[in-house]
Amino acid sequence: MLIKYWPERTNVPFMNMRIAGALFSMILIAASAFLLGTRGLNFGVDFAGGTVMELAKTDTVTVPAVRAAMPINAEVNSARGTDGREIVVVKFGEAPPDLLGEDFQSLSDEQKAERASGATNELIVQTLSDAFNLSVENGDFLRNDSVGPKVSKELFTDGITALIVALAMMLVYIWFRFQWQFSVGAIAALAHDVIITLGMFALLRIEFNLTSIAALLTIIGYSMNDTVVVFDRIREDRRKYKKMPDREVIDMSLNTTLSRTLLTSGTTLISLFAIYFLGGPVLQGMSFALIFGIFIGTYSSIFIASALVLSLGMDFTKKTVEEVQGFTGV
Amino acid sequence: MLQFPPWKIGLIAVILLWGVVLALPNVVNMSGAPGWMPKKGVNLGLDLQGGVYLMMEIEADEVVANRLDVLSRDVSSTLTTPQSDRIFNLPEVKGRELVVRLTRPDADGNFRTEDALKRLQKLNGPVGGVIGGAQMYEMRISGKDTITITVPQAAEESLLKDALNKTMTIVRRRVDPEGVSEISITPQGNNRIILEAPGEPDPQRLKDLLNRDGRMTFNLVDSSPAAIQAAQAGAVKPGFRLLTGDETGPLLVNNIPEIVGSDIANAAQGFDEQNRPQITFRLNGNGARKFYETTAKNTGKQFAIVLDDHVMSAPNINEPIPGGNVRITGNFTQQEAIDLAAIIEAGEMPAKLQFLDQRTVSPTLGQDSINAGYTAALIGLAAVAVFMVLIYGTLGFFAVLSLSCNIILIFAGLSGVGATLTLPGIAGIILTIGMAVDANVLVFERIREEQGEGRSPWTATQAGYERALSTIMDANITTLIAATILYLLGSGPVKGFAVTLSIGIVTSVFTAYVVTRMITVGYMKLLKPKRFGI
Repeated sequence: MLIKYWPERTNVPFMNMRIAGALFSMILIAASAFLLGTRGLNFGVDFAGGTVMELAKTDTVTVPAVRAAMPINAEVNSARGTDGREIVVVKFGEAPPDLLGEDFQSLSDEQKAERASGATNELIVQTLSDAFNLSVENGDFLRNDSVGPKVSKELFTDGITALIVALAMMLVYIWFRFQWQFSVGAIAALAHDVIITLGMFALLRIEFNLTSIAALLTIIGYSMNDTVVVFDRIREDRRKYKKMPDREVIDMSLNTTLSRTLLTSGTTLISLFAIYFLGGPVLQGMSFALIFGIFIGTYSSIFIASALVLSLGMDFTKKTVEEVQGFTGV
Repeated sequence: MLQFPPWKIGLIAVILLWGVVLALPNVVNMSGAPGWMPKKGVNLGLDLQGGVYLMMEIEADEVVANRLDVLSRDVSSTLTTPQSDRIFNLPEVKGRELVVRLTRPDADGNFRTEDALKRLQKLNGPVGGVIGGAQMYEMRISGKDTITITVPQAAEESLLKDALNKTMTIVRRRVDPEGVSEISITPQGNNRIILEAPGEPDPQRLKDLLNRDGRMTFNLVDSSPAAIQAAQAGAVKPGFRLLTGDETGPLLVNNIPEIVGSDIANAAQGFDEQNRPQITFRLNGNGARKFYETTAKNTGKQFAIVLDDHVMSAPNINEPIPGGNVRITGNFTQQEAIDLAAIIEAGEMPAKLQFLDQRTVSPTLGQDSINAGYTAALIGLAAVAVFMVLIYGTLGFFAVLSLSCNIILIFAGLSGVGATLTLPGIAGIILTIGMAVDANVLVFERIREEQGEGRSPWTATQAGYERALSTIMDANITTLIAATILYLLGSGPVKGFAVTLSIGIVTSVFTAYVVTRMITVGYMKLLKPKRFGI
């Protein structure tokens, strides 16, 4: 070891702190539930439907000017673009039908519902092009996304389904590889991570879109990864030190894996900070969620997953030991 | 565990070399390379390349209604008997039902509703002509003298499938008449089409091309001013419609067309004598014959070329026209003429398209994203490398070597399976860089523990790799589960993220567990270190 200060052998009594940890987690979960209930998530167009446009900021194209030029209610904000230049972000829903022209009036109600966001998009592109002398062909509209109500609803259902299916599959995998106590501990930890990360999204009003679902699933994957490493060590130590009480075994396992936990989360965090600061605004929300998720995932492996295994008790009789040994020699 | 016979080393070397070959097109232009080498790098997603993404849906209601509309004509002719030519009201399509009301079912006492139904059943048949298959229509007596015809589920699905295939062909022919562009058109589910046009900045042009029904007809015209004036006042002559055109003004157009879209062989943009853009098209044999007959019979009159209820041109018939060559001159730009020719040639859409989801990224923004991702990846990689070497010394350096192999293999994998790299996909690669060292860290920590208990480098390494294996597998399989689900249920850029993450997991286990181990064994054989500086 070239860095002498890296904790090589620690002896932190994690399991003595588990009540405090549980309380802390409960407060966070309660706060998250409260925030999600009152403030709610800031859904992006993927899930809420509507349109988001990005324009390069110039002397004439400014936030107040665009706001003034918009014929309908819109959120107009400035943001930093991928290469650092300023952009103007325009977000809006559907225009009132009377602005959408004669062709639109002749549609059936069902068609109107589905076409309104597309028609509004056309109207706004026209309005802004005329007002600021912009051209679609020249790429003045850096981004222009419109999602209709049908697709946004489906995307949302698919996203939620993905989360639930992922949790269920992992539950089964851990059950198969370990014991049900571990499975319960791991899933509780994952649910804990998801709820608190969602609370974070609600608190900071970070846009919640398809990429956020990807981020949540990655957090689940990472947190699971971390939990499995700890569980593997607990299982091994439990078998090795037959007389030692569960609490001490778990503490020992957590301490021996602590150095690895810190290192892996360290290298992963380095990468994520690189994306956060250099990856541009599209990836900023995602990398922020992941950075937060690394912390919460590492914490939950110790204070939720392992603590629950301690509370539920383990049982490694001879027979189960045989059963759970997998992977020998690759 | 620490035995690396020559065949094993050879195999690993072959995998790595093959990775380099597959990944090479991503950094070098391979156009001059020998034939066996792959030429194509990773496909860039629309978010990186810029372009237009459109998700469209064919309305099932309209497909069914159109089908029933066609059926209604057959119903009319089937029920028309020589004795009584009107024993029913004109059948009416109401939503997804065709309602036939018999007006005098029992008039002569021997033609009842049941008899009408029996006759109509002759119009029915199995879906797709498969003998014994589900029936195309469900026909039932729904009132004393009413027959309702509906399309059952199975038949509707087959109708939709046909409509989807037809629509995809038409979409392709309209947006890419030359068949040369990179536009991709793929079906999704049973009634959706996804169109991706890389590099295209303007979704509106594509939507305009696809929004039209493309119903092209030649109709005779009543051009008497009195009839037109009467129609404008609201009294449209029966059998005619009042249509207008930019060049022609209002015209009374006969409802029954002389020439229809299927009579047209091909259409193209050309130039007239004054070098203005025009549309030329040629009728097929049947169409040309019909056109000659019509022009011969109606010499001196006017006819209208109508596209989607809009009169494009209304020339006078000076003489019978043989050959079937027609041209439309008008006030179009060249692009408009090209687009109109594509619409005319592609033919009529089976049903109107709904645009559900449209996304546009300008090509410049795409390039910026690539640059940003590249910088982030480089800095992430450099920082992880420094970190690993500082903490694990020589072994850390080996981990960095295999991490570099890992990145090459990720690009090889992406290029090899023809995956699409998206912006979240780049994030996936950068994340993999951070997480890939995990397997190494797990092993090194074990080696350090074993060495701490006084074991030699050989036994410590042996024990380290053996003990860390099940942890590494468990940890990566769970992440792979998350990535697989992301792939199955995600869409667009998120799918790209799932692909890079999955490939990254597989390659990182290989490089971290196998490649690093081989390097470490080679190091121990060559330099025979007393202990590892970890």
